[in-house]
Amino acid sequence: MEKIRIEGVSFIYSKGTPFERRALDGVSCSFEAGKITCLIGHTGSGKSTLVNLLNGLYRPTEGKVYLDGEDIWARPKKITDIRRRVGLVMQYPEYQLFDETVYSDIAFGPKNLGLDAGEIDLRVREAIAFVGLDEALLSKSPFELSGGQKRRVAIAGIIAMRPEVLVLDEPAAGLDPRGRREILGGLTRYVRERGITLILVSHSMEDMASYCDNVVVMKDAKVFMQGTVDEVFSHPDELDAVGLDTPEITKLAQGLIQAGIVLSGALYTVEDVRDAILRYIGGNAQ
Amino acid sequence: MISDITLGQFFPGSSILHRLDPRTKLLLSLLYIIGVFLLNTPMAFILYTLITLSLILASRISMRVILKGIKPIVIVLIFTMIINILLTSGEGEPLFSFLIFAVYKEGIIRAFFMAYRVIMLIVGSSVLLTYTTSPIALTDGLESLLSPLKLIKVPVHLFAMMMTIALRFIPTLIEETETIMNAQKSRGANFTEGSIIKRARALIPILVPLFVSSFKRAEELAVAMECRCYRGDVGRTKMNKLKYRLRDILWLTVGALLFAGLILLSVKSAELSALGEAMRILFYKI
Repeated sequence: MEKIRIEGVSFIYSKGTPFERRALDGVSCSFEAGKITCLIGHTGSGKSTLVNLLNGLYRPTEGKVYLDGEDIWARPKKITDIRRRVGLVMQYPEYQLFDETVYSDIAFGPKNLGLDAGEIDLRVREAIAFVGLDEALLSKSPFELSGGQKRRVAIAGIIAMRPEVLVLDEPAAGLDPRGRREILGGLTRYVRERGITLILVSHSMEDMASYCDNVVVMKDAKVFMQGTVDEVFSHPDELDAVGLDTPEITKLAQGLIQAGIVLSGALYTVEDVRDAILRYIGGNAQ
Repeated sequence: MISDITLGQFFPGSSILHRLDPRTKLLLSLLYIIGVFLLNTPMAFILYTLITLSLILASRISMRVILKGIKPIVIVLIFTMIINILLTSGEGEPLFSFLIFAVYKEGIIRAFFMAYRVIMLIVGSSVLLTYTTSPIALTDGLESLLSPLKLIKVPVHLFAMMMTIALRFIPTLIEETETIMNAQKSRGANFTEGSIIKRARALIPILVPLFVSSFKRAEELAVAMECRCYRGDVGRTKMNKLKYRLRDILWLTVGALLFAGLILLSVKSAELSALGEAMRILFYKI
Protein backbone atom coordinates (compact mmCIF):
# COMPACT_ATOMS: atom_id res chain seq x y z
CA MET A 1 0.00 0.00 0.00
CA GLU A 2 1.33 3.40 -0.82
CA LYS A 3 1.63 5.98 1.92
CA ILE A 4 2.77 8.95 -0.10
CA ARG A 5 2.19 9.45 -3.78
CA ILE A 6 3.60 12.24 -5.88
CA GLU A 7 1.98 13.04 -9.17
CA GLY A 8 3.47 15.20 -11.90
CA VAL A 9 5.18 17.50 -9.46
CA SER A 10 7.33 20.38 -10.69
CA PHE A 11 9.03 22.92 -8.51
CA ILE A 12 10.66 26.16 -9.61
CA TYR A 13 12.85 28.26 -7.33
CA SER A 14 12.67 32.08 -7.54
CA LYS A 15 10.07 32.00 -10.26
CA GLY A 16 10.02 35.09 -12.44
CA THR A 17 13.52 36.31 -11.56
CA PRO A 18 16.80 35.81 -13.43
CA PHE A 19 17.61 33.19 -10.79
CA GLU A 20 14.70 30.97 -11.80
CA ARG A 21 15.66 27.32 -11.52
CA ARG A 22 13.59 24.23 -12.15
CA ALA A 23 14.50 21.82 -9.37
CA LEU A 24 11.83 19.24 -10.12
CA ASP A 25 10.30 18.53 -13.49
CA GLY A 26 7.16 16.42 -13.68
CA VAL A 27 8.17 14.00 -10.95
CA SER A 28 5.88 11.08 -10.17
CA CYS A 29 6.73 8.38 -7.64
CA SER A 30 5.33 6.70 -4.57
CA PHE A 31 6.49 5.55 -1.17
CA GLU A 32 5.09 2.35 0.28
CA ALA A 33 3.67 2.22 3.79
CA GLY A 34 5.88 0.53 6.38
CA LYS A 35 8.79 0.21 3.97
CA ILE A 36 12.13 1.90 3.83
CA THR A 37 12.58 3.77 0.60
CA CYS A 38 15.87 5.26 -0.44
CA LEU A 39 15.84 8.46 -2.46
CA ILE A 40 19.11 8.47 -4.30
CA GLY A 41 20.75 10.72 -6.84
CA HIS A 42 23.59 13.09 -7.50
CA THR A 43 24.02 16.50 -5.89
CA GLY A 44 21.55 18.86 -7.53
CA SER A 45 19.28 16.12 -8.83
CA GLY A 46 16.36 17.46 -6.80
CA LYS A 47 16.35 15.08 -3.83
CA SER A 48 16.27 17.73 -1.12
CA THR A 49 13.61 19.75 -2.92
CA LEU A 50 11.44 16.68 -3.21
CA VAL A 51 11.85 16.02 0.49
CA ASN A 52 10.71 19.53 1.37
CA LEU A 53 7.56 18.92 -0.65
CA LEU A 54 6.67 15.77 1.26
CA ASN A 55 5.68 17.57 4.46
CA GLY A 56 4.40 20.71 2.82
CA LEU A 57 7.32 23.05 3.51
CA TYR A 58 7.29 23.86 -0.19
CA ARG A 59 4.19 23.95 -2.30
CA PRO A 60 4.57 22.32 -5.72
CA THR A 61 4.50 24.74 -8.64
CA GLU A 62 2.60 22.04 -10.53
CA GLY A 63 1.26 18.64 -9.55
CA LYS A 64 -0.03 17.04 -6.38
CA VAL A 65 1.34 15.32 -3.28
CA TYR A 66 -0.94 12.75 -1.67
CA LEU A 67 -0.67 11.42 1.88
CA ASP A 68 -2.90 8.37 2.43
CA GLY A 69 -4.68 9.28 -0.79
CA GLU A 70 -5.46 12.84 0.28
CA ASP A 71 -4.02 15.92 -1.38
CA ILE A 72 -1.92 17.56 1.33
CA TRP A 73 -2.65 21.01 -0.08
CA ALA A 74 -6.42 20.47 -0.15
CA ARG A 75 -6.69 22.73 2.89
CA PRO A 76 -3.58 24.94 3.04
CA LYS A 77 -4.48 26.21 6.51
CA LYS A 78 -4.19 22.67 7.86
CA ILE A 79 -0.70 22.13 6.49
CA THR A 80 0.75 22.05 10.02
CA ASP A 81 -1.19 18.82 10.58
CA ILE A 82 0.66 17.30 7.64
CA ARG A 83 3.97 18.39 9.15
CA ARG A 84 3.03 16.54 12.32
CA ARG A 85 2.29 13.35 10.42
CA VAL A 86 5.34 13.54 8.19
CA GLY A 87 8.45 14.14 10.27
CA LEU A 88 11.31 15.67 8.32
CA VAL A 89 14.91 15.70 9.47
CA MET A 90 16.83 18.13 7.27
CA GLN A 91 20.42 17.93 6.15
CA TYR A 92 22.84 18.75 8.96
CA PRO A 93 20.00 18.96 11.50
CA GLU A 94 22.44 19.69 14.32
CA TYR A 95 22.28 23.39 13.32
CA GLN A 96 18.65 23.62 14.39
CA LEU A 97 19.35 22.92 18.08
CA PHE A 98 18.62 25.96 20.21
CA ASP A 99 17.40 25.16 23.69
CA GLU A 100 19.27 25.21 26.97
CA THR A 101 19.24 21.48 27.53
CA VAL A 102 19.08 18.45 25.31
CA TYR A 103 15.88 17.49 27.10
CA SER A 104 13.99 20.68 26.31
CA ASP A 105 15.30 20.66 22.76
CA ILE A 106 13.90 17.20 22.10
CA ALA A 107 10.72 18.25 23.91
CA PHE A 108 10.22 21.22 21.54
CA GLY A 109 8.35 19.19 18.93
CA PRO A 110 6.08 17.28 21.35
CA LYS A 111 5.36 20.55 23.16
CA ASN A 112 4.22 22.09 19.89
CA LEU A 113 1.86 19.14 19.55
CA GLY A 114 0.24 20.28 22.79
CA LEU A 115 1.01 17.15 24.78
CA ASP A 116 1.05 17.09 28.59
CA ALA A 117 4.28 16.97 30.58
CA GLY A 118 4.05 13.26 31.38
CA GLU A 119 3.61 12.24 27.77
CA ILE A 120 6.41 14.57 26.69
CA ASP A 121 8.74 13.04 29.28
CA LEU A 122 7.91 9.55 28.06
CA ARG A 123 8.53 10.45 24.45
CA VAL A 124 11.78 12.29 25.11
CA ARG A 125 13.23 9.30 26.96
CA GLU A 126 12.01 6.89 24.31
CA ALA A 127 13.44 9.00 21.50
CA ILE A 128 16.85 9.38 23.07
CA ALA A 129 17.05 5.61 23.59
CA PHE A 130 16.22 4.99 19.93
CA VAL A 131 19.04 7.18 18.69
CA GLY A 132 21.41 5.41 21.06
CA LEU A 133 22.27 8.24 23.43
CA ASP A 134 22.66 8.06 27.19
CA GLU A 135 19.95 9.64 29.35
CA ALA A 136 22.70 11.41 31.27
CA LEU A 137 23.08 13.74 28.30
CA LEU A 138 19.53 15.06 28.72
CA SER A 139 20.52 17.73 31.23
CA LYS A 140 23.50 18.95 29.19
CA SER A 141 23.50 21.87 26.80
CA PRO A 142 23.23 20.70 23.19
CA PHE A 143 26.15 22.97 22.34
CA GLU A 144 28.49 20.92 24.53
CA LEU A 145 27.96 17.74 22.54
CA SER A 146 30.06 16.34 19.73
CA GLY A 147 28.87 16.66 16.14
CA GLY A 148 27.56 13.09 15.97
CA GLN A 149 25.75 13.43 19.28
CA LYS A 150 24.13 16.68 18.18
CA ARG A 151 22.93 14.98 15.02
CA ARG A 152 21.28 12.26 17.08
CA VAL A 153 19.63 14.76 19.40
CA ALA A 154 18.17 16.51 16.37
CA ILE A 155 16.85 13.23 14.99
CA ALA A 156 15.43 12.37 18.42
CA GLY A 157 13.59 15.70 18.32
CA ILE A 158 11.62 14.47 15.33
CA ILE A 159 11.18 10.90 16.55
CA ALA A 160 9.65 12.27 19.76
CA MET A 161 6.80 13.64 17.67
CA ARG A 162 5.97 10.08 16.58
CA PRO A 163 5.29 10.83 12.95
CA GLU A 164 3.68 8.25 10.65
CA VAL A 165 6.26 8.94 8.00
CA LEU A 166 9.85 9.74 8.78
CA VAL A 167 11.91 11.52 6.15
CA LEU A 168 15.63 11.94 6.65
CA ASP A 169 17.77 14.02 4.34
CA GLU A 170 21.30 12.57 4.41
CA PRO A 171 21.19 11.61 8.08
CA ALA A 172 24.68 10.15 7.96
CA ALA A 173 26.43 12.88 5.95
CA GLY A 174 29.81 13.75 7.36
CA LEU A 175 29.85 10.99 9.96
CA ASP A 176 32.49 8.29 10.29
CA PRO A 177 31.56 4.71 9.28
CA ARG A 178 30.77 3.74 12.84
CA GLY A 179 28.54 6.78 13.39
CA ARG A 180 26.79 5.99 10.12
CA ARG A 181 26.09 2.43 11.11
CA GLU A 182 24.82 3.44 14.54
CA ILE A 183 22.47 6.13 13.30
CA LEU A 184 21.13 4.23 10.30
CA GLY A 185 20.94 0.94 12.19
CA GLY A 186 19.05 2.55 15.09
CA LEU A 187 16.66 4.28 12.75
CA THR A 188 15.83 1.22 10.70
CA ARG A 189 15.27 -0.80 13.87
CA TYR A 190 12.93 1.90 15.15
CA VAL A 191 10.83 2.16 12.00
CA ARG A 192 10.57 -1.61 11.56
CA GLU A 193 9.42 -1.99 15.15
CA ARG A 194 6.78 0.71 14.79
CA GLY A 195 5.72 0.05 11.21
CA ILE A 196 6.69 3.57 10.21
CA THR A 197 7.30 4.56 6.61
CA LEU A 198 10.88 5.72 6.25
CA ILE A 199 12.26 7.77 3.39
CA LEU A 200 16.01 8.03 3.38
CA VAL A 201 17.84 10.49 1.17
CA SER A 202 21.34 9.39 0.40
CA HIS A 203 23.93 9.27 -2.27
CA SER A 204 25.59 6.22 -0.90
CA MET A 205 24.74 3.00 -2.69
CA GLU A 206 26.09 1.05 0.26
CA ASP A 207 23.50 2.59 2.59
CA MET A 208 20.78 1.88 0.11
CA ALA A 209 21.79 -1.75 -0.27
CA SER A 210 22.05 -2.43 3.42
CA TYR A 211 19.02 -0.60 4.81
CA CYS A 212 16.37 -0.12 2.15
CA ASP A 213 13.51 -2.06 0.55
CA ASN A 214 12.74 0.27 -2.34
CA VAL A 215 14.69 2.81 -4.30
CA VAL A 216 13.81 5.96 -6.20
CA VAL A 217 16.67 7.17 -8.37
CA MET A 218 16.65 10.84 -9.33
CA LYS A 219 18.51 12.44 -12.19
CA ASP A 220 18.38 16.04 -13.44
CA ALA A 221 15.14 16.97 -11.66
CA LYS A 222 13.38 13.82 -12.85
CA VAL A 223 12.73 10.32 -11.53
CA PHE A 224 15.16 8.11 -13.42
CA MET A 225 14.26 4.71 -12.04
CA GLN A 226 12.22 3.23 -9.22
CA GLY A 227 11.63 -0.21 -7.82
CA THR A 228 12.93 -2.64 -5.25
CA VAL A 229 16.63 -2.74 -4.43
CA ASP A 230 17.04 -5.90 -6.55
CA GLU A 231 15.25 -4.38 -9.53
CA VAL A 232 17.34 -1.23 -9.46
CA PHE A 233 20.62 -3.07 -9.00
CA SER A 234 19.85 -5.31 -11.94
CA HIS A 235 20.53 -2.30 -14.20
CA PRO A 236 24.18 -1.59 -13.35
CA ASP A 237 24.90 0.09 -16.67
CA GLU A 238 22.08 2.60 -16.26
CA LEU A 239 23.21 3.30 -12.70
CA ASP A 240 26.68 3.89 -14.04
CA ALA A 241 25.27 6.34 -16.57
CA VAL A 242 23.70 8.39 -13.76
CA GLY A 243 27.06 8.41 -12.03
CA LEU A 244 25.94 6.12 -9.22
CA ASP A 245 28.30 3.33 -8.43
CA THR A 246 27.33 -0.14 -7.49
CA PRO A 247 28.67 -0.92 -4.00
CA GLU A 248 32.33 -1.89 -3.78
CA ILE A 249 31.44 -5.31 -2.45
CA THR A 250 29.12 -5.97 -5.40
CA LYS A 251 31.93 -5.07 -7.77
CA LEU A 252 34.15 -7.54 -5.96
CA ALA A 253 31.49 -10.23 -6.22
CA GLN A 254 31.08 -9.52 -9.92
CA GLY A 255 34.83 -9.89 -10.31
CA LEU A 256 34.66 -13.23 -8.57
CA ILE A 257 31.82 -14.35 -10.83
CA GLN A 258 33.83 -13.37 -13.89
CA ALA A 259 36.73 -15.42 -12.52
CA GLY A 260 34.45 -18.46 -12.54
CA ILE A 261 33.30 -18.52 -8.93
CA VAL A 262 29.53 -18.92 -9.15
CA LEU A 263 27.89 -16.74 -6.51
CA SER A 264 24.12 -16.52 -6.27
CA GLY A 265 21.48 -14.44 -4.53
CA ALA A 266 21.63 -10.76 -3.56
CA LEU A 267 25.19 -9.45 -3.52
CA TYR A 268 24.89 -5.91 -2.21
CA THR A 269 26.28 -6.03 1.30
CA VAL A 270 29.35 -7.56 2.87
CA GLU A 271 27.06 -10.03 4.66
CA ASP A 272 25.33 -11.01 1.40
CA VAL A 273 28.62 -11.76 -0.28
CA ARG A 274 30.02 -13.57 2.74
CA ASP A 275 26.99 -15.87 2.78
CA ALA A 276 27.19 -16.40 -0.97
CA ILE A 277 30.87 -17.32 -0.74
CA LEU A 278 30.16 -19.68 2.14
CA ARG A 279 27.37 -21.27 0.09
CA TYR A 280 29.77 -21.62 -2.84
CA ILE A 281 32.43 -23.24 -0.66
CA GLY A 282 29.84 -25.48 0.97
CA GLY A 283 28.50 -26.50 -2.47
CA ASN A 284 31.99 -27.37 -3.70
CA ALA A 285 32.81 -29.37 -0.63
CA GLN A 286 29.91 -31.77 -1.20
CA MET B 1 9.86 32.65 0.42
CA ILE B 2 12.32 35.01 2.07
CA SER B 3 14.89 34.47 -0.64
CA ASP B 4 12.53 36.22 -3.03
CA ILE B 5 13.30 39.59 -1.47
CA THR B 6 14.85 41.61 -4.26
CA LEU B 7 15.72 44.85 -2.48
CA GLY B 8 19.49 45.06 -2.15
CA GLN B 9 20.17 42.11 -4.39
CA PHE B 10 22.55 42.02 -7.34
CA PHE B 11 21.25 40.84 -10.71
CA PRO B 12 24.12 39.81 -12.96
CA GLY B 13 23.92 41.18 -16.48
CA SER B 14 25.82 43.00 -19.19
CA SER B 15 23.86 46.22 -19.68
CA ILE B 16 25.63 49.56 -19.95
CA LEU B 17 24.86 50.21 -16.28
CA HIS B 18 26.43 46.90 -15.32
CA ARG B 19 29.60 47.79 -17.20
CA LEU B 20 30.06 51.27 -15.75
CA ASP B 21 32.83 51.78 -13.23
CA PRO B 22 31.42 51.40 -9.70
CA ARG B 23 32.87 54.77 -8.75
CA THR B 24 30.92 56.42 -11.54
CA LYS B 25 27.78 54.75 -10.31
CA LEU B 26 28.46 55.77 -6.72
CA LEU B 27 28.97 59.40 -7.72
CA LEU B 28 25.91 59.36 -9.96
CA SER B 29 23.74 57.92 -7.25
CA LEU B 30 25.01 60.56 -4.84
CA LEU B 31 23.88 63.22 -7.31
CA TYR B 32 20.65 61.34 -7.84
CA ILE B 33 19.88 61.19 -4.12
CA ILE B 34 20.66 64.86 -3.56
CA GLY B 35 18.53 65.62 -6.60
CA VAL B 36 15.53 63.77 -5.19
CA PHE B 37 15.49 66.07 -2.21
CA LEU B 38 16.08 69.25 -4.21
CA LEU B 39 13.28 68.91 -6.72
CA ASN B 40 10.12 70.80 -5.99
CA THR B 41 8.55 71.98 -9.24
CA PRO B 42 6.32 69.94 -11.59
CA MET B 43 8.88 70.29 -14.38
CA ALA B 44 11.60 68.89 -12.15
CA PHE B 45 9.37 65.99 -11.25
CA ILE B 46 8.77 65.18 -14.87
CA LEU B 47 12.49 65.41 -15.61
CA TYR B 48 13.24 63.13 -12.69
CA THR B 49 10.68 60.56 -13.70
CA LEU B 50 12.17 60.52 -17.19
CA ILE B 51 15.71 60.12 -15.85
CA THR B 52 14.62 57.25 -13.61
CA LEU B 53 12.73 55.52 -16.39
CA SER B 54 15.70 55.76 -18.73
CA LEU B 55 17.95 54.36 -16.00
CA ILE B 56 15.63 51.40 -15.61
CA LEU B 57 15.67 50.88 -19.37
CA ALA B 58 19.45 51.17 -19.47
CA SER B 59 19.81 48.57 -16.71
CA ARG B 60 17.68 46.05 -18.66
CA ILE B 61 16.16 44.92 -15.38
CA SER B 62 12.53 43.92 -15.73
CA MET B 63 9.86 46.21 -14.31
CA ARG B 64 8.52 43.29 -12.29
CA VAL B 65 11.74 42.99 -10.32
CA ILE B 66 11.72 46.71 -9.63
CA LEU B 67 8.11 46.72 -8.45
CA LYS B 68 8.89 43.76 -6.24
CA GLY B 69 11.69 45.81 -4.67
CA ILE B 70 9.21 48.53 -3.72
CA LYS B 71 6.66 46.09 -2.34
CA PRO B 72 8.17 45.72 1.14
CA ILE B 73 7.89 49.44 1.85
CA VAL B 74 4.41 50.00 0.48
CA ILE B 75 2.72 49.65 3.86
CA VAL B 76 5.13 52.05 5.56
CA LEU B 77 4.65 54.44 2.69
CA ILE B 78 0.86 54.38 2.86
CA PHE B 79 1.02 54.88 6.59
CA THR B 80 3.29 57.93 6.36
CA MET B 81 1.15 59.33 3.56
CA ILE B 82 -1.95 59.13 5.72
CA ILE B 83 -0.16 60.78 8.63
CA ASN B 84 1.09 63.50 6.31
CA ILE B 85 -2.34 64.14 4.87
CA LEU B 86 -4.01 64.28 8.26
CA LEU B 87 -1.47 66.33 10.14
CA THR B 88 -0.35 68.94 7.62
CA SER B 89 -2.16 72.20 8.00
CA GLY B 90 -2.28 74.72 5.20
CA GLU B 91 -3.53 78.15 4.37
CA GLY B 92 -7.15 78.79 3.49
CA GLU B 93 -10.10 76.52 3.98
CA PRO B 94 -9.54 72.78 4.48
CA LEU B 95 -10.82 70.58 1.66
CA PHE B 96 -12.86 68.63 4.18
CA SER B 97 -12.64 67.71 7.82
CA PHE B 98 -13.75 64.92 10.09
CA LEU B 99 -13.33 64.21 13.80
CA ILE B 100 -10.32 66.26 14.85
CA PHE B 101 -8.62 66.11 11.44
CA ALA B 102 -8.73 68.63 8.69
CA VAL B 103 -7.42 67.77 5.27
CA TYR B 104 -5.73 70.54 3.30
CA LYS B 105 -4.54 70.67 -0.27
CA GLU B 106 -1.00 71.19 1.01
CA GLY B 107 -1.18 67.96 2.98
CA ILE B 108 -2.12 65.92 -0.06
CA ILE B 109 0.59 67.51 -2.18
CA ARG B 110 3.15 66.97 0.54
CA ALA B 111 2.17 63.32 1.03
CA PHE B 112 2.39 62.75 -2.70
CA PHE B 113 5.82 64.39 -2.95
CA MET B 114 7.07 62.41 0.01
CA ALA B 115 5.91 59.09 -1.45
CA TYR B 116 7.33 60.00 -4.85
CA ARG B 117 10.69 60.87 -3.32
CA VAL B 118 10.94 57.66 -1.33
CA ILE B 119 10.00 55.50 -4.31
CA MET B 120 12.44 57.32 -6.61
CA LEU B 121 15.11 57.03 -3.96
CA ILE B 122 14.72 53.29 -3.73
CA VAL B 123 14.27 52.64 -7.43
CA GLY B 124 17.10 54.95 -8.46
CA SER B 125 19.66 53.77 -5.97
CA SER B 126 18.87 50.11 -6.52
CA VAL B 127 19.00 50.40 -10.30
CA LEU B 128 22.18 52.48 -10.22
CA LEU B 129 23.90 50.52 -7.50
CA THR B 130 22.70 47.31 -5.96
CA TYR B 131 20.89 45.68 -8.87
CA THR B 132 23.66 46.37 -11.36
CA THR B 133 26.82 46.36 -9.25
CA SER B 134 28.26 43.26 -7.64
CA PRO B 135 28.93 43.75 -3.92
CA ILE B 136 32.65 43.31 -4.48
CA ALA B 137 32.75 46.02 -7.14
CA LEU B 138 30.68 48.25 -4.92
CA THR B 139 33.04 48.09 -1.98
CA ASP B 140 36.04 48.35 -4.30
CA GLY B 141 34.59 51.55 -5.67
CA LEU B 142 33.83 52.86 -2.23
CA GLU B 143 37.32 52.10 -1.03
CA SER B 144 38.81 53.87 -4.00
CA LEU B 145 36.57 56.92 -3.61
CA LEU B 146 37.28 57.19 0.10
CA SER B 147 41.00 56.50 -0.18
CA PRO B 148 41.95 60.18 0.33
CA LEU B 149 40.72 59.70 3.89
CA LYS B 150 43.65 57.36 4.47
CA LEU B 151 45.76 60.48 4.79
CA ILE B 152 43.98 61.32 8.02
CA LYS B 153 44.37 57.73 9.25
CA VAL B 154 40.86 56.51 8.55
CA PRO B 155 41.05 52.70 8.07
CA VAL B 156 39.23 52.83 4.74
CA HIS B 157 40.40 49.41 3.64
CA LEU B 158 39.15 47.76 6.82
CA PHE B 159 35.75 49.37 6.42
CA ALA B 160 35.56 48.22 2.83
CA MET B 161 36.61 44.70 3.77
CA MET B 162 34.03 44.57 6.54
CA MET B 163 31.39 45.75 4.14
CA THR B 164 32.38 43.22 1.51
CA ILE B 165 32.14 40.43 4.05
CA ALA B 166 28.81 41.66 5.38
CA LEU B 167 27.34 41.94 1.89
CA ARG B 168 28.79 38.60 0.84
CA PHE B 169 27.09 36.80 3.69
CA ILE B 170 23.63 38.32 3.39
CA PRO B 171 22.43 35.66 0.91
CA THR B 172 24.04 32.93 3.01
CA LEU B 173 22.29 34.24 6.07
CA ILE B 174 18.96 34.44 4.29
CA GLU B 175 19.34 30.91 3.04
CA GLU B 176 20.27 29.71 6.48
CA THR B 177 17.36 31.51 8.12
CA GLU B 178 15.07 29.76 5.70
CA THR B 179 16.59 26.36 6.37
CA ILE B 180 16.33 26.80 10.13
CA MET B 181 12.78 28.12 9.84
CA ASN B 182 11.85 25.08 7.79
CA ALA B 183 13.52 22.79 10.29
CA GLN B 184 11.58 24.32 13.18
CA LYS B 185 8.37 24.28 11.15
CA SER B 186 8.97 20.57 10.67
CA ARG B 187 9.05 20.33 14.44
CA GLY B 188 5.64 21.93 14.62
CA ALA B 189 6.73 25.51 15.26
CA ASN B 190 4.27 28.14 14.10
CA PHE B 191 5.48 31.63 13.28
CA THR B 192 2.31 33.10 11.90
CA GLU B 193 -0.32 32.46 14.55
CA GLY B 194 -0.90 33.59 18.10
CA SER B 195 -0.37 36.80 20.03
CA ILE B 196 2.59 39.11 19.45
CA ILE B 197 4.37 37.75 22.52
CA LYS B 198 3.83 34.20 21.33
CA ARG B 199 5.16 35.05 17.90
CA ALA B 200 8.18 36.83 19.36
CA ARG B 201 8.90 33.79 21.49
CA ALA B 202 8.61 31.62 18.40
CA LEU B 203 11.62 33.47 16.98
CA ILE B 204 13.98 32.14 19.67
CA PRO B 205 14.36 28.73 17.97
CA ILE B 206 15.44 30.58 14.83
CA LEU B 207 17.64 33.27 16.33
CA VAL B 208 19.71 31.07 18.62
CA PRO B 209 20.93 28.67 15.90
CA LEU B 210 21.44 31.61 13.55
CA PHE B 211 23.66 33.43 16.04
CA VAL B 212 25.60 30.30 16.90
CA SER B 213 26.38 29.52 13.29
CA SER B 214 27.17 33.16 12.46
CA PHE B 215 29.78 33.33 15.19
CA LYS B 216 31.19 30.02 14.10
CA ARG B 217 31.34 31.16 10.51
CA ALA B 218 33.03 34.44 11.45
CA GLU B 219 35.68 32.52 13.32
CA GLU B 220 36.25 30.10 10.46
CA LEU B 221 36.47 32.95 7.99
CA ALA B 222 39.03 34.76 10.13
CA VAL B 223 41.15 31.62 10.34
CA ALA B 224 40.85 31.04 6.59
CA MET B 225 41.90 34.63 5.89
CA GLU B 226 44.90 34.36 8.18
CA CYS B 227 45.88 31.09 6.53
CA ARG B 228 46.08 33.03 3.28
CA CYS B 229 48.23 35.64 5.01
CA TYR B 230 45.69 38.44 4.96
CA ARG B 231 47.10 41.38 6.90
CA GLY B 232 45.19 44.44 5.81
CA ASP B 233 45.85 46.67 2.83
CA VAL B 234 49.55 47.37 3.27
CA GLY B 235 51.24 46.08 0.14
CA ARG B 236 48.04 44.45 -1.08
CA THR B 237 47.46 44.42 -4.81
CA LYS B 238 44.20 44.00 -6.65
CA MET B 239 43.32 41.49 -9.31
CA ASN B 240 40.71 43.69 -10.98
CA LYS B 241 41.97 47.24 -10.97
CA LEU B 242 39.29 49.88 -11.41
CA LYS B 243 39.79 52.00 -14.50
CA TYR B 244 37.84 55.00 -15.74
CA ARG B 245 36.83 54.69 -19.37
CA LEU B 246 35.37 57.09 -21.88
CA ARG B 247 31.84 55.96 -21.07
CA ASP B 248 32.36 56.81 -17.40
CA ILE B 249 33.42 60.33 -18.26
CA LEU B 250 30.42 60.63 -20.58
CA TRP B 251 27.96 59.39 -17.97
CA LEU B 252 29.41 61.64 -15.29
CA THR B 253 29.21 64.67 -17.60
CA VAL B 254 25.61 63.92 -18.53
CA GLY B 255 24.81 63.33 -14.87
CA ALA B 256 26.36 66.64 -13.83
CA LEU B 257 24.52 68.49 -16.59
CA LEU B 258 21.19 66.95 -15.63
CA PHE B 259 21.89 67.83 -12.02
CA ALA B 260 22.58 71.44 -12.95
CA GLY B 261 19.40 71.50 -15.04
CA LEU B 262 17.47 70.13 -12.11
CA ILE B 263 18.77 72.86 -9.84
CA LEU B 264 17.72 75.45 -12.39
CA LEU B 265 14.26 73.91 -12.61
CA SER B 266 13.83 73.62 -8.87
CA VAL B 267 15.08 76.96 -7.72
CA LYS B 268 12.29 79.51 -7.84
CA SER B 269 12.72 82.30 -10.38
CA ALA B 270 13.06 84.92 -7.65
CA GLU B 271 15.92 83.02 -6.10
CA LEU B 272 17.37 82.54 -9.55
CA SER B 273 17.47 86.27 -10.26
CA ALA B 274 18.98 86.83 -6.84
CA LEU B 275 21.61 84.23 -7.72
CA GLY B 276 22.22 85.97 -11.04
CA GLU B 277 22.57 89.28 -9.26
CA ALA B 278 25.09 87.78 -6.87
CA MET B 279 27.08 86.30 -9.75
CA ARG B 280 27.09 89.62 -11.56
CA ILE B 281 28.42 91.44 -8.52
CA LEU B 282 31.00 88.72 -8.05
CA PHE B 283 32.23 88.85 -11.64
CA TYR B 284 32.07 92.63 -11.64
CA LYS B 285 34.47 92.72 -8.72
CA ILE B 286 36.89 90.35 -10.42
